[in-house]
Amino acid sequence: MTEKYSFSLTTFSPSGKLVQIEYALQAVASGAPSVGIKAKNGIVIAVEKKQKSPLYENHSINKVEPINSKIGMVYSGMGPDFRLLVRKARKIAVKYEYTYHESIPVSQLVQKVAAVMQEYTQSGGVRPFGVSLLIAGFDEDKPYLYQCDPSGAYFAWKATAMGKNYINGKTFLEKRYNDDLEIDDAVHTAILTLKESFDGQMTEENIEIGVASSDGFSLLEPAVVKDYLAAIQ
Amino acid sequence: MANPFEYNGSAVVGMIGSGCVAIAADRRLGIQGQTIATTFDKIYPMNESLYIGFYGLATDALTVSSRLKYQLNLYQLRENRQIKPKAFMHMTSNLLYSKRFGYYFVEPVIAGLDPVTKDPYIATMDLIGCPMETKDFVVVGTCSEQLYGMCESLWKPDLEPEDLFETISQALMNAVDRDALSGWGAIVHVIEKDKVTTRTLKARMD
Amino acid sequence: MASVLADKYCSKSLRGILMDGECGPGHEYNYQPLNNSFTVPPGIDPHHFVSPFMSDSSDCKIKFNHGTTTLAFKFQHGVIVAVDSRATAGSYIASQTVKKVIEINPYLLGTMAGGAADCAYWERQLSFECRIYELRNKERISVAAASKLLANMVSYYKGYGLSMGTMICGWDKKGPGIYYVDTDGNRFTNNIFSVGSGSTYAYGVIDSTYKWSMSIEEARELGKRAIYHATYRDSYSGGVVNLYHVQEDGWTKVSQTDVKSLHYQYEEEKNKEIINNEEL
Repeated sequence: MTEKYSFSLTTFSPSGKLVQIEYALQAVASGAPSVGIKAKNGIVIAVEKKQKSPLYENHSINKVEPINSKIGMVYSGMGPDFRLLVRKARKIAVKYEYTYHESIPVSQLVQKVAAVMQEYTQSGGVRPFGVSLLIAGFDEDKPYLYQCDPSGAYFAWKATAMGKNYINGKTFLEKRYNDDLEIDDAVHTAILTLKESFDGQMTEENIEIGVASSDGFSLLEPAVVKDYLAAIQ
Repeated sequence: MANPFEYNGSAVVGMIGSGCVAIAADRRLGIQGQTIATTFDKIYPMNESLYIGFYGLATDALTVSSRLKYQLNLYQLRENRQIKPKAFMHMTSNLLYSKRFGYYFVEPVIAGLDPVTKDPYIATMDLIGCPMETKDFVVVGTCSEQLYGMCESLWKPDLEPEDLFETISQALMNAVDRDALSGWGAIVHVIEKDKVTTRTLKARMD
Repeated sequence: MASVLADKYCSKSLRGILMDGECGPGHEYNYQPLNNSFTVPPGIDPHHFVSPFMSDSSDCKIKFNHGTTTLAFKFQHGVIVAVDSRATAGSYIASQTVKKVIEINPYLLGTMAGGAADCAYWERQLSFECRIYELRNKERISVAAASKLLANMVSYYKGYGLSMGTMICGWDKKGPGIYYVDTDGNRFTNNIFSVGSGSTYAYGVIDSTYKWSMSIEEARELGKRAIYHATYRDSYSGGVVNLYHVQEDGWTKVSQTDVKSLHYQYEEEKNKEIINNEEL
């Protein structure tokens, strides 16, 4: 009998706040930093992949995930929640492609993923997602960068940072960003942004970078990342 | 009702020209041999440069066209842009296949210009949505054999809008004049990148 | 000896009706086909052989020119006969220029509905018999007698799959005459007949304004208009209106008009009427 009723855990506080969502944002703000930058001819998304213990096998963790051939996604917050959203996003993208025989516009994917995240703030028996997403993609010859929050809110950015120290990251980007960046410059800037709050040595093993260009979305090989890092030092 | 495709009678043609497309249909609505109306539209505008016409059971054509319009309105509101003819064709195909085991008795003809590139596009499909895209013309109707004969002999590549109008009109009119179930007037839409010209034709009324 | 010779002659002849007095007095108007006039499928009953091809569900139908509109009506100045000219095979329009009025002789007309070949053949046969009658009796055959000859001919083959619905129209001692004859064996006379898939539409037009005392112009116009309206509503009728008028001195072909021009002529007249009414 009691199982018939299932109330939403996200309820208003007397002051009109949804504290569950604020807690979720807390989880994001204490998660690993990620950054996204729009260049003239593409988008770069990057994330810190530092492990708590040197005993981890690094290759088993992926934080930048392709959604389809043109769109990729990264997060700050809780990894398991992200994996669920990746699964949903891929399904949404593929379903669109099968319906219209063209790939889903980034804005459409973002809208639908955001709708999923919103649903988890109002449904019974669930909690909000503990992640914010950066969704990057290329459609109709134009690059797009979006951020999706646990509340279901989403924003289009030229450049942004999320996760631990995101305020510093954003301040850094505000100073460094300009509209004439090429992809190479954007990768460079993304690394520098991550470096702002990076503890210890940054290597090709502990950051991950994805690039969306007119050729589609792809992850940078560790060797390529290494070259970028070498250029900085 | 022996064959639903021959219950009401119809003929629809789509043709590609140079930077333009045309779609034309007869205007008869009949119940077998009895002519009920001679001003019946079989072509429905989906947006400024996209039209769909139906051959088959008229009541199903009405249903399918309004379901498509409903889906399309949602699409265009959701995406805040005009649909590409090819995507619309797949939308139609999916709708028809969703009734694979209890079909709508219609075969559509889709004609339009790409909203971005302005490339002309025509396609047709069978009643359960198997698509057929061509670069010249598509025909469906109770007089499809006659239409094929006319189109094969009259169509040429790169017709200008006025010539395309003449070609599609002659093809349709002469085809329906050899069919008892279609005719009684015709309507032609010529779609160009900046305008659509719609004309009704003076035809035999028997 | 004489009868042997007659038998030989008869068996080669295609014509069906009785030949000489040898068949005996009082039998003149009985149709007696002579053996082997038509080849029939050997070994089986012709009824049986033909029935699968006659049913509506058959893939291979013998029927042709099934759709038609024909009409004839009597009035004070004779008989008006009007027909369309379309031949269809299924929904395919095989011809728009069929002659559906068969000129039996200068005083008799027959209309064609149903099987074109059946109508053409049997009415030609009828014309032959009518000529024989004329030579034997030194006077023209009456419309009643002519139509009965035809009715007897076709009813002999009832069930063999013949298909025709015809009106035999003419002028005789009694004045204008119309007889409806079909292959089911029906034979009737009346003032107005219409036959074919478009007949109901034609009846509707005729009945709305028909009067016995019509003028020649009115009657001809009515016949033409009735066929036009039938071609408009009936898919299986169309082409041109062939209009005949039978009077005391035989028939004349009055006109042949494409229904396309009639349609736009009537449309214009209708528009004028609307304008006049608005002015009033």
